[in-house]
Amino acid sequence: MNPFDYKRVTTLKDAISAVKPAASVFLAGGTNLIDLMKRGVTAPETLVDINNLPYNKIEKTATGIRIGAMVHNSDASEHPLVTENFPLLSLALKSGASPQLRNMATTGGNMNQRTRCGYFYDTTMPCNKRSPGSGCSAIGGYTRMHAIFGTSEQCIAVHPSDMCVGLAALDATVTISNGKSEKKILFTDYHRLPGTDPSKDNILQKGELITAVDIPFNKLAKNAYYLKIRDRASYAFALVSVAAALDIQNGLIQSARLAMGGVAHKPWRLFEAENMLQGKRPTNDNFLSAANLAMTGAKSFGANQFKLKLAPNAILEALHLAAGKSAS
Amino acid sequence: MKEKNPGTEENKGSSRRTFFKQSSAIAALALTPVSIVKASEKGLDEKIASAFEKMPLRVEINSKAYSLEVEPRVTLLDLLREQLHLTGTKKGCDHGQCGACTVHVDGRRVNSCLTLAVTTEGKKVITIEGLAKGEELHPVQQAFIQFDGFQCGYCTPGQIMSAVCCIREGHANDPDQVREFMSGNICRCGAYSNIVDAVMHAKKGGQQI
Amino acid sequence: MGQFFEDPLDRVDGRLKVTGAARYFAEYDLPDMTFAVMATSAITRGKILTIDTKSAERAPGVLDVLTYLNMPSIPGWQSDPSKPAPQAALGGERYRVLGSDQILFNGQPIALVVADSLERAQYAASLIKATYQKASFETDLEKNKDKGQTVRGPRGADYNRGDANAYKTAAVQLEQEYTIPIETHNPMELHGIIASWKGNDSITVYAKTQGVKSTQQSLMNAFKLDQKNVQVFSEFVGGGFGMALRTWPQEILVAAAAKKIGRPVKLVMSRDQMFTMVGYRPFSIQQIKLGSTKEGQLTGLVHEALSQTSSYEDFAEGTVNMSKFMYACDNVATKYRIVPLDIGVPIWMRGPGEATGAFALETAMDEMAYKLNMDPIALRLKNYTETDPERNRPYSSKYVKEAYQLGAEKIGWFKRNPAPRSMKDGEWLVGYGMSSGVFNASRGEANCRAVVKDDGTLLLQSAASDIGPGTGTAMVQIAHEVLGYPVDKISFELGNSTFPPAPSQGGSTTTSTVGSAVHIACSSLKNKIVNLLLEKGGSDYAGKTAADFTFSDGNVRAGNVSVSIASLLKQQNLPALEVTENSKAGPDQQKYSMYSFSIHFAEVRVHPKTGVVRVKRVVTVADSGKIISPKTAASQMIGGVTGGIGMALMEESVIDHRYGRFINNNFADYHVPVSADIPHIDTIFIDKPDPVINPMGAKGMGEIALIGFAAAVGNAVYHATGKRIRELPITPDKLIE
Repeated sequence: MNPFDYKRVTTLKDAISAVKPAASVFLAGGTNLIDLMKRGVTAPETLVDINNLPYNKIEKTATGIRIGAMVHNSDASEHPLVTENFPLLSLALKSGASPQLRNMATTGGNMNQRTRCGYFYDTTMPCNKRSPGSGCSAIGGYTRMHAIFGTSEQCIAVHPSDMCVGLAALDATVTISNGKSEKKILFTDYHRLPGTDPSKDNILQKGELITAVDIPFNKLAKNAYYLKIRDRASYAFALVSVAAALDIQNGLIQSARLAMGGVAHKPWRLFEAENMLQGKRPTNDNFLSAANLAMTGAKSFGANQFKLKLAPNAILEALHLAAGKSAS
Repeated sequence: MKEKNPGTEENKGSSRRTFFKQSSAIAALALTPVSIVKASEKGLDEKIASAFEKMPLRVEINSKAYSLEVEPRVTLLDLLREQLHLTGTKKGCDHGQCGACTVHVDGRRVNSCLTLAVTTEGKKVITIEGLAKGEELHPVQQAFIQFDGFQCGYCTPGQIMSAVCCIREGHANDPDQVREFMSGNICRCGAYSNIVDAVMHAKKGGQQI
Repeated sequence: MGQFFEDPLDRVDGRLKVTGAARYFAEYDLPDMTFAVMATSAITRGKILTIDTKSAERAPGVLDVLTYLNMPSIPGWQSDPSKPAPQAALGGERYRVLGSDQILFNGQPIALVVADSLERAQYAASLIKATYQKASFETDLEKNKDKGQTVRGPRGADYNRGDANAYKTAAVQLEQEYTIPIETHNPMELHGIIASWKGNDSITVYAKTQGVKSTQQSLMNAFKLDQKNVQVFSEFVGGGFGMALRTWPQEILVAAAAKKIGRPVKLVMSRDQMFTMVGYRPFSIQQIKLGSTKEGQLTGLVHEALSQTSSYEDFAEGTVNMSKFMYACDNVATKYRIVPLDIGVPIWMRGPGEATGAFALETAMDEMAYKLNMDPIALRLKNYTETDPERNRPYSSKYVKEAYQLGAEKIGWFKRNPAPRSMKDGEWLVGYGMSSGVFNASRGEANCRAVVKDDGTLLLQSAASDIGPGTGTAMVQIAHEVLGYPVDKISFELGNSTFPPAPSQGGSTTTSTVGSAVHIACSSLKNKIVNLLLEKGGSDYAGKTAADFTFSDGNVRAGNVSVSIASLLKQQNLPALEVTENSKAGPDQQKYSMYSFSIHFAEVRVHPKTGVVRVKRVVTVADSGKIISPKTAASQMIGGVTGGIGMALMEESVIDHRYGRFINNNFADYHVPVSADIPHIDTIFIDKPDPVINPMGAKGMGEIALIGFAAAVGNAVYHATGKRIRELPITPDKLIE
């Protein structure tokens, strides 16, 4: 690693002012940042350690729960407010990384996790995300882990987080502060598609900090499942993951939530499939229609072609598991 | 440079580093041909350089208080292994992908390879060297021997540190749960099934873990 | 010696390993230690045009930067006019680390930075900038199938028995191709070395090696040093699986750097460098052609293997060996070819070529069984052979029929419905598969020093190595059996080149080879003690003969008289009795074919919609002679199974052939099994001594634990799904329906 300055801050104001210089970045859990620094993908001159900021609580609010940005993934996954009200999020969190990494990683940090695209990590190869304008090595290369939705000619990387898939499905909102004022945006609007500027993963601006994520109460806790398909049973990134939650009353789906991981540059919310399921019975046929609808616009790049088949199968499977019965 | 709390360690640290960056001594050092640097008084320039690169760090490791000076870029793993010679904690990947470096920081299992040493200021670190009570092995260490939960032994300290927390966290209720919650520790010799037996045995043994 | 290897002894180095006290090479702290980091090439083939080391040299703490421009000459690398020039590699190149501007593979070292701290060395190495002239290159075996070359020497010879074309006229025929990608050893411990010189002619290294004597020899050769001036220590090795069977060029580079700067230098490679510089299991494409009668008698077997090597060094292994002798078949032909590619040289990886070959042969046997509508075990029994058809001589011991039986019973083989895709558990498809593994059992030459002391202890020393299987534990067991000392009074020391010579730990030979030396040394000590008593023991021993003496618990007894060996030594004013013995195979062993066998069973669940495979249960049976150390032997078997599950389901080092670079060169993307992938594993040992191989009757087991296992998984996946996957690894994408 390059030599760098290290500053510990305890207040939002100090944090924001410390991160102002161009080459300053926040250090939260460090599970991704330190990795990237070791690989030479990024070389900040100042790390602003925000681990002592007071955003480390999970609280009940009038309309839902609020998870502080500094809450560790492991703590969030076990917290009663989460496990009781949002088991989907708990499952998503627990399927990510390893117990050690979940002990380090934070809510805010996980949202800003960079892609695992091998070409992004290898500084000898072109990558528009790491080095804008240099080209995308993944296109035409090893694409097994890559996106099938929302890609551009500049980038086909996927967002690696499981937590974010859960939060995207749960209509969460993100609170962002610039030290003076706060803004709230929908979680599904936080991450962006690569378009012509893949270097930006999300809409967070320099000098801004995520302080919390809010999740509104819902009736989806009873029928929820997070299905993660990967190359080994644990401690691996998703080939495809599906967050599925259903509010089933009197044999009818009142509302549904569906989001996917491992398929796009952002957690991929399946609004159309959700709408299609609303008011329908939780049957295999309806689930299958939803899964097929969800695949509209999917496009593969060589080795990730299998995802065109795996993704709808996984949606179908996750819906059945959420509905509480097996597909066969 | 903002000096809101003069005298606190973090500010002292950063201001020293700022001085280092601006100091003419170091600028000159960077521009001097290497032969001349080498010819200068042995190690002097580098001693100056390291003095300004470093930050104070007070940390308790295995119940012993340390007052150290470390560069911010030094990971807890490298601090333990290369500077404190606590080599029980292992480096297997250096990127948080294998768990060999697992230690406890304030009672939580973490990957020390992705933990900057300076972030452990004021914290309590336990490594494999601090697990046994003198000659008396920790029940998990004992169980690993009994069930032969290792072969080459290189991942073993990380496995054991992880297993202790796995039990304390309440994630060792059945073998499948142990498998899942011990999956952050890779064992290439393939001792997993014995490790699961060892963890279940230690958990059921009823001793204080 | 009462019971015969019955005590399940805990690993003798267990306490050191669970307390973190076991010291691996990088954990020795020498005064004035320095840290080395390699910068590596970003291109695959070509030459360095410019290399800018200025910023690295000026970075704080940097002591030296070596490149091809200032690399000290290595005396042993200069050609010796008195010796014939070595044969050029099939690829026609020669590789010397930092030896020239030529780049022969991606990730090749282009510079070595030495600094006074690890962080400073790492940072300085990142400052090195090179420009290159790129040349075209080939890294893809599948695109170079037509460039196979015959390996020189006996390993590469084509084999023919009977009519190679016989399979073509058989009643039932099978022709299939099997592909295994590059796999990387990836032991948990990173590779490297510490080198420290005393003067210009004496070096000490702390190495990660499977053979301290072999590392010693490499250093003697490279620097033209006397044996007494080269010391190699390697007490604990954090896994090897074959990759530490040679001294890699960068180790010599570190030794050269240490000599140049006059301080100890430590190199610990990074995980990504473990993919490019320390070998791998080569990519392979194999064809199996089988012919059989309708009753299942094999009438023809052809096994052709194509594998890869580097442009600068040839590498060959026993990929087609098993097909020559495992089954009774009159017509067998094998071919083995290698293609030189622009990539680092491979090296044996656990089970080595035999594991590669067994996947093909044992999958083909399963396919043939289904074609014949026969039970896969019945087909194997139909072609069972009690004598080695390749060499026309008896096996020293073979209990494979018993192994089939024991394994089948344990897993419930005959209770399964043998029809493919006939068994279910919820929506998961259930499948059972079996396979066989076999590996040469041998006994090499080794030496052991044994010392009984008047404090009641027994010390054994041999320059063996241990990468994890539990060598010390087995040796202590053997000494305990022979000399009757309590195990806690016996210590076995290894990993030190000054000890009596022993071979490297590889090819499943240590227990047989070094164990025999321990056995002989302890027997020799026994004779010494008996003679001492007969000569100087007085009237109690009058008229006794050697046969009258028994040894147990540190005592020697003749008739009603028992004396502790420690007190005997004291009585005789001897602080110690010492022997050093040599051991090697005798002429008897030449009359037999000696092999270890394994029979594997796997039960899998396959989720048809998502392609996920879970291994649910495993039974593995080893016919490897007498088991010396039951606990560590069982661990080796479960370790081999775990490696086999990795090979079957997830391991694959991927090269982007446009760049010639590994794209998944880390533990997050190169998947090895984690705990959640591994079920309970039942290990069964035939545990019958081999009457020929060595005094213990023990054959090796490190390789057979893995050899064939991937086929058992693949066969089980076929049984579950009706889909035959012939390209490893069997990842979800290959099974999704």
